[in-house]
Amino acid sequence: MEQLYGIFLYTVFLLTMGGIYAVLTLGLNIQWGFTGLFNAGVAGFFAIGAYTTAIVTTAASERHLGGLGLPPAAGIVAAMVASSIIAWGVGRMCIRLRADYLAIATLGIAEILRLVLKNEVWATNGPRGISVIPKPFEHLAEPWNQIAMLLLVVAVVAVLYVLLERVWHSPWGRVMAAIRENEAAARAAGKDVERLRIVAFILGGALMGLGGALMAHHIKFIELQAAEPITATFLVWVMLVVGGSANNRGAIVGAVLIWTLWSAAEILITGLPPEWAVKAAYLRIFLVGLALQFILQRFPDGIFRERRLRTVSSPSIKEHSPCRKCC
Amino acid sequence: MIEFLNFYLIPGFVLGSVYALGAVGVTLTFGILRFANFAHGETMTLGAFIALSLASFSGWHPFAVLPFAMALTAAAVVGMDRLFFRPLRHRSTIILVISSFGLMLMVRSLVQLIWGAKLRSFTQGIEIPWVLFDSLRVFPKHVAIVCAAIGLMLAVHLLLVRTRAGKAMRAMADSPDLARLTGINTERVILTTWIVGGGLAAAAGVFLAYDTHVESQLGFKLLLPIFAAALLGGIGRPYGAMAGGLVIGLIEELSTYPWIGSEAVVSPGYKTGIAFAIMVVLLIWRPSGLFRGRVFQS
Amino acid sequence: MQKMLLAAAAGTFALHTAAAADDITVGSAAAVTGPIAELVVDIVAARNLAASHVNEQGGLLDGDTYRLVTGDSQCDPKAAVDTGTKLVNVEQAVMVIGPNCSGATNGMAQSVTIPAGVVMLSDTATAPSISDLDDNDLVFRVAPSDAYQGRSLAEFAWEHGYRMLAVTYANDDYNSGLAAVFATAFTELGGTITGNEAHEPGKASYRAELATLAAGDAEGLALFAYFGSSGITILRNSLENALFGTFLGADGMMDNSVIEQIGADNLRGNIMLSQPASDTEGASYKAFAATFDSPGAPFVTHGYDIAFLAALAIEKAGSTDRGLIASALREVANAPGMVIRPGEWAKAKDAIAAGEDINYEGASGAIEFDGNGDVAGIYSLNMVGDDGTWTPVN
Repeated sequence: MEQLYGIFLYTVFLLTMGGIYAVLTLGLNIQWGFTGLFNAGVAGFFAIGAYTTAIVTTAASERHLGGLGLPPAAGIVAAMVASSIIAWGVGRMCIRLRADYLAIATLGIAEILRLVLKNEVWATNGPRGISVIPKPFEHLAEPWNQIAMLLLVVAVVAVLYVLLERVWHSPWGRVMAAIRENEAAARAAGKDVERLRIVAFILGGALMGLGGALMAHHIKFIELQAAEPITATFLVWVMLVVGGSANNRGAIVGAVLIWTLWSAAEILITGLPPEWAVKAAYLRIFLVGLALQFILQRFPDGIFRERRLRTVSSPSIKEHSPCRKCC
Repeated sequence: MIEFLNFYLIPGFVLGSVYALGAVGVTLTFGILRFANFAHGETMTLGAFIALSLASFSGWHPFAVLPFAMALTAAAVVGMDRLFFRPLRHRSTIILVISSFGLMLMVRSLVQLIWGAKLRSFTQGIEIPWVLFDSLRVFPKHVAIVCAAIGLMLAVHLLLVRTRAGKAMRAMADSPDLARLTGINTERVILTTWIVGGGLAAAAGVFLAYDTHVESQLGFKLLLPIFAAALLGGIGRPYGAMAGGLVIGLIEELSTYPWIGSEAVVSPGYKTGIAFAIMVVLLIWRPSGLFRGRVFQS
Repeated sequence: MQKMLLAAAAGTFALHTAAAADDITVGSAAAVTGPIAELVVDIVAARNLAASHVNEQGGLLDGDTYRLVTGDSQCDPKAAVDTGTKLVNVEQAVMVIGPNCSGATNGMAQSVTIPAGVVMLSDTATAPSISDLDDNDLVFRVAPSDAYQGRSLAEFAWEHGYRMLAVTYANDDYNSGLAAVFATAFTELGGTITGNEAHEPGKASYRAELATLAAGDAEGLALFAYFGSSGITILRNSLENALFGTFLGADGMMDNSVIEQIGADNLRGNIMLSQPASDTEGASYKAFAATFDSPGAPFVTHGYDIAFLAALAIEKAGSTDRGLIASALREVANAPGMVIRPGEWAKAKDAIAAGEDINYEGASGAIEFDGNGDVAGIYSLNMVGDDGTWTPVN
């Protein structure tokens, strides 16, 4: 009985984390899936969101900037605003870069953002991080606090899903797809491609900030290790690609599925004898990598395909002949 | 002035040669297979550990086992291509990138399973440098590393210019469609690319391990500067990558030089950021890299 | 490909033996992968050694097996919260030891163990902020807060005649805090800090940073780093280029591989490291060192102590009730009582059965928890001895 209750609590936690990752993945889907912008700097926006809400919602402290003591809702809004502003700045600078170059530029900018957050100790308490971030519903008794947090995350994901589906099927969404598929034609039709791209970049950045803020409230503590590129950028990419880019349902399913794989793989290996304790952790990462290869070979278009454009398998269809127009 | 040479310029040059060797592999796979290979850093780690095992088994100097380590690493990389990249050959770039990310996790955990996470090195103790002209400090190991790196780069140059395989590689990096039309065997070119990239990565890993030490995250820590170097040189441009590697290595070291007064201009905490900042500025200002690599346009 | 995956999964399942009914599970969270992977290998081994001592000498309660389940906290609060949830809920751990890294400890304590009412005992979390957590007396640690060690090292430096020092620290939670306390304390004593710079761990060379710091005429370098990620490289760069000749440092540097890599002759007489009061001449330390392969590695004494203390708390509680275990922890660690040393499980078990009060004197120190669940910081200073190992200075 206790065992079952434990597994239930873990499932609640697993879905909460999966849901937070789904927010990040939906944000990336706006940028990559809808618009074809290769943002490899998710971690940067995630960190900005997490730190903003931490500064806004914690109690006043000498260790870092502020501690404004506002409620989490205010922190989350501030986080989305802050990451939107950063996304706007990055977008203004880099939006003209194409595919891989944009990827490396955003990767570099995310690293610079991380370095700033780490070195500007007066604002962020540097590598020591910001502690005692309030968590919504934490005053409720166990397990209701955890269930309420999960419901909050689920509600956020559901609202985002409905909104994004609307956007995606609106004239605006069709223009974005047009730009992604054939930029020259969209330009010829009189669309302001640069501006539309920046808007998509900002929207995606805002969602990444939201994801970071939710994570900060969920784990009640933020430091730069929580925003290192492997789990805050690449894992989000894996989720989107496995789920199926340009498909919001795919983004959500991919996030929950990959997070489950990442997290639950550890349960498999905890039964190993203690002399294997260290090696088992390495083995877990190996198995995650192997499973990922398997999924990629089995579902190369993602589990959910893009629904609108049946004729193309993914936004990067152009990569089959990437150089057609560049020379 | 002499301090500048000893502690900023020469170390920057040594680090730059390591970056350069790594960047050549990245730029070749990027140019020919069209994806950023995140597993490249782990290839370096693998090469360094293979060399370490060979050296401790045979008792030879690390440079003597280097060719074998390069060959074994290249073989391993070709194997990885067969298992994981070839089945995805005609898929979109992003699938290959994600696959390389998965491979990165796998190779690193394999290295940790086989060799453990602890730190190892080829040589114990410290090396006292030669002092030339009473003040210039030159380390024998650095001379060896730079010479070997230059030798390897010359070999790559000869391969690219003189051999059929090399010419085919350049043709494919320039224009894959055209190359295919002229009857170039693409699979063979890809094979050569992996062999060259894997071998050079192993060499870079061994050189760095010989200068410092080797542990399971050696390559991963180099991955971002190496990407920056490849990009700086222009994708698909091996010579550009060599120059890019040197530039990034030098910038990283020179950024902490007290150009004004006695304090470092930039806090060393930001050292890694300098290379990225310059890379980003360069990308915006000159999106094809210093050496006019290919721009992947939509 | 499919076959490979299936074979791998089947292999792991085959090895996955479900916990037997008479096992008592304690979660052992450790940063096995991630930035301090090389440091954690020995710590995990030390924890497991304590568990095997317990199991060899009669096990827990009615001969139940003491089962330590390692979870990978990766030095990342996200991962720590994730692995903590698994340990507490899926593995039904009665207590959690670890994790490593202050940030991971902070996150895991606040969002997993405190809400679940599980007591947590860390071996390596040194951030002062952990003392401030509103923890219902559920968060303990045997590693003293940095606030003590930085001050203590500054005093050592002053006593040994240093007046001008340069400081460099790895920009992580552990080393940055230590460096800050050290610099303040050394200045208050009247010393001068000629330069105080962070460095990014994991780089291939630090010659440039060191040359800039060396330009300030310091008598030595106070080096706060983990030995693996940047410490050894900095020592090597400094010595090879004659930038710095003498070094001061903390326990993150005190590993035998430092001596192996740099060479005892190059370090003898010019490096001093502080370490939380393992009195290496003391009976407790010797009892531990006799049974462990690398007793000199950083934080292994702490790792052993937390695993042993967890067992003592369970035995004292006389049940697997999480609340009872939490309240028993302070009783078994603090004086007064019969002194128990590392490895003396049978003796402790008998004493507890006889209703006697016990007092664990650990390999890492006496371990007396204060009101915050912290231990006092008493430090020893170590140098490279004639036999080429770390030896305490008298």
